[in-house]
This record gives sequence, structure tokens and C-alpha cells, in this order.
Amino acid sequence: MNYETLDVRADGPVGWLVFDRPDAGNAIDARMFVELEAAWAELEADPGVRAIVNTGNGHSFQTGLDVKQLATDREALRASSRQTRDFALRMTAWHCGVTKPVVAAVNGTCAGGGLHFVADADIVIAADDATFLDPHVSVGQVSAFEAIGLLKKAPMESVARMALTGAYERLSAERARQLGIVSEVVAARDLRDRAGELAARVAEEDPARMRSLKQMMWTALEAP
Amino acid sequence: MSYQHLIVERQGPVGWLINDRPEVRNAMNSAMRDEFADAWTELDNDPAVRVIVHTGNGRDFQTGVDVGEIASDGVGMERYRQSMEDFDVHFTSWHQGVWKPVITAVNGICCGGGFHWVADSDIVIAASDAQFFDPHTSVGQVVAIEAIGLMKKMPAEAVMRMAFMGSYERMGAERAYELGMISEIVDPPERLRERAQELAETVARNSPAAMAATKKALWGALEAGLTDACKQGARHLVSMWGHPDQTEGPAAFAERRDPDWQPR
Repeated sequence: MNYETLDVRADGPVGWLVFDRPDAGNAIDARMFVELEAAWAELEADPGVRAIVNTGNGHSFQTGLDVKQLATDREALRASSRQTRDFALRMTAWHCGVTKPVVAAVNGTCAGGGLHFVADADIVIAADDATFLDPHVSVGQVSAFEAIGLLKKAPMESVARMALTGAYERLSAERARQLGIVSEVVAARDLRDRAGELAARVAEEDPARMRSLKQMMWTALEAP
Repeated sequence: MSYQHLIVERQGPVGWLINDRPEVRNAMNSAMRDEFADAWTELDNDPAVRVIVHTGNGRDFQTGVDVGEIASDGVGMERYRQSMEDFDVHFTSWHQGVWKPVITAVNGICCGGGFHWVADSDIVIAASDAQFFDPHTSVGQVVAIEAIGLMKKMPAEAVMRMAFMGSYERMGAERAYELGMISEIVDPPERLRERAQELAETVARNSPAAMAATKKALWGALEAGLTDACKQGARHLVSMWGHPDQTEGPAAFAERRDPDWQPR
């Protein structure tokens, strides 16, 4: 596939899925909405890829749905509404059933729907200038999937605080590390090297074993 | 409505519910327990109240059930036992189905049954001199509901340690913050209410309807596995579609003005 909104490539055993709409905070427009599913499928199918890094170009990691742009594309809007209503989203590795380990490397701002990619990754690291916020309720929207995913994996109070303070508060990378939302904070300039290093380390393991490990861990989150 | 053991007041968009039995460290007797049910409902039903803050008068936040009173008034103990057996209890915002954001501001000691209100609120802040412990086992009691609620929301080891160590160990505000049990420490402690009001006013800037639906999605998620929780979350998310706040929010943002939210 010819990607316009993503940078998708393989570097040895490490696949890279990089959000590439830096001028729009890497927000998900109609095009990216389609490309995300294709990119996860491509990296999943590539036998040379054993682990995947997900990060963003520019100052933001990911800032969620580009609602304004989506509203101009009737078909895309219909598709995203239907997928939301039925919880049949195809944006993250988890949504798309990716069985390979995914390392999210959060550069800069991660807002709203961007939290999907944090909640749905296996390992999350962040640049020291990364910030996390969930502005949904400040613009009359409900926060659901992202916050639910996070609260299954991290202390709920902080997730609820982020969801209810909306656009008016941000979680720092360091606080996210304390809470276990991310496991490592590195200088911004070192983020990609470190993410690549972690992914390469994971890629050395037996892929079949990594696959069953990943499946087991995520299945554990399905218990009430 | 007038209360004997609680103070219920309003300050702008913020409703305050204040434990008011400082002479017994705000321990909950039968009358106070009944008043809680009414106070949560009163604040939830008041459209002028958008966010609720819960704190305590005097040195301490809350020290659980006033066992002395409940055991000696003739009917209290039996009634209390029965309500617990049936889990038919009405003293926290979660018990009462309050879908407005609730902020607990812990002053001084929060122990034993006091954890009910920490576990059952959305946001918890504490004064720098706050202390947490669970003395149930030290007086031959079992801790259940409060600890279960906390375990769903934070690392379980810390909750179990408190349960087993009883009155012989206390957790400070700093450790509670590290664990994500609370999200903010207020220092000096005297500033706690001022800060709680400020934080509540910040939260009150957001769409009440969207926050109610978000709360339902989040608390519902504690009852279900990940995929089921997301499916239920989708229902709450979709419940806001067509609500005027969904167009008012982006419009106000574009026009750089405060949104004019509609009631839930």
C-alpha cells in the first residue's frame, strides 16, 4: 500500500509504524483511518518483522480523531461512527489482532484518541517532554475505550482524573512512569533509538513463544 | 434538608459534603449513615451542582463505623449486619448511583471504613499530613468491601498489606500518591479545601452530560473484562450522540469562549 499519512517500514526484524501528519498533530483523518488497518496487517503479515515500534513524526505522538476532516468525508464518518457504535474499531494493534509485540514510543503530546495506542500496546516508553491528556469531556464528548483500556492496566484514579479534568490538566511523562502507564522515560532525542533497541531485543526471542505470551496476557484482561 | 452529622453546602458549581462528627473523628453512626444517603441524592439532584467534594471537619477525614454507638443503641447492630449481608448500603456516591464527578479530599486520618469513600470516588487528593490504615483485623473484624473496591483501582499488594497490618502500620500521603491511590498532595495541609474547590471548579468546566456518560463507562469497566467493558462503554459513548453539547463544545472551542453546556 502507498501510505500518505503513515510511515511504514521494516528495519531488520523491527517494523515501524510512524504517524505522519505532523502538521495536524498526527490526528486520524479519513485516510489514516484506512491506512492504520492496512499498516498493522502488512507488518503482521511480514515474516521478517518480529516486533513493531509505534511512534509519531513531529511534536505530537497522536491526538485522536480529526473530527473536522472526518466530517467532510461522509463515507469515512459513517464508517467511523459504525465502528465506534459496534466497538469494531480497526485503529490499534489490539483492534487489528496483531500477534507481534508492540512498543509504543510516545513523543510529545498524546491526547484523547491517542491514548488508544498507549492502552493497546504491550510496552510503552515516552520522551521526557511527552504529555498525556484526555480532552473529550471539554468538547462535549465521552471518553470510553481509551480510558477503559488504561484503567485495566494502571491505577484507576489517575485515569478517571485525566478523563474528568479534560483539556485542563496534563499528565507528565514522569508521572505516567510512576503510575506504570509507561515503563521508561528517555531524553526526546534518544526515544527512537531506545524504542528500536527494545523492539530488537524482543525480536530475538522465539516468535511463537512471544505470540502465545502476548495472547495469554491480553486474555487475562478479559476476566471481569 | 437539614443534617445533624453532615454539612451540605454549595460554593459556585461545587457541592460540598462534609463529615461533621469531629468529636469522634467523624466515625459513622446510624443517623449519619442515613444522612449520607440523603446528602448524596440531594447534591446529585441539584442541577446547580456540577461536581461534589467530600471532606471531613476537624482533624480527621473519617474513621469508619462508630461501633460503640451501633452496638449499643439496640437496633443499630442488627440493621447494620443485615444491610451488609445484602450489600444493601447507601452511604457512598457509588452506592447511590451519583454520576456527577466526586472528589474526595482526605484530611488527617482515613482509616477502616473511611476507605469506602476513597474507593468509591473518582478523584482523591489528600493533605500532606494525611494517614491511611485499616485497623479491622486488629479489633477482630473483617475488612471486605472497602478493600475490594481499592484493589480494583490500585496495586493490590498495598491494600492487602494494610488489611493484614491493621492498626500497627500507617501509610502516608506520599506513598498513597506513588501508588496512584491519590493524585495530589496538598501542602500545607490547611490549603486542602481551597485546592479541592479549585480542582472541582476546573472539572466543572466540562460537559456535565459527557462526564456522566464517561463515569458510567469507567465504573462499568470495573464490572467486566476488557472487551465487554469496551462494548458497554460504546453504549455510553453513543448515548451522547445528538446531545447539544456535542456541537456546543467544538463551537465554543473554535470561538474561544466558555461552552454553554446543557443539563444532563
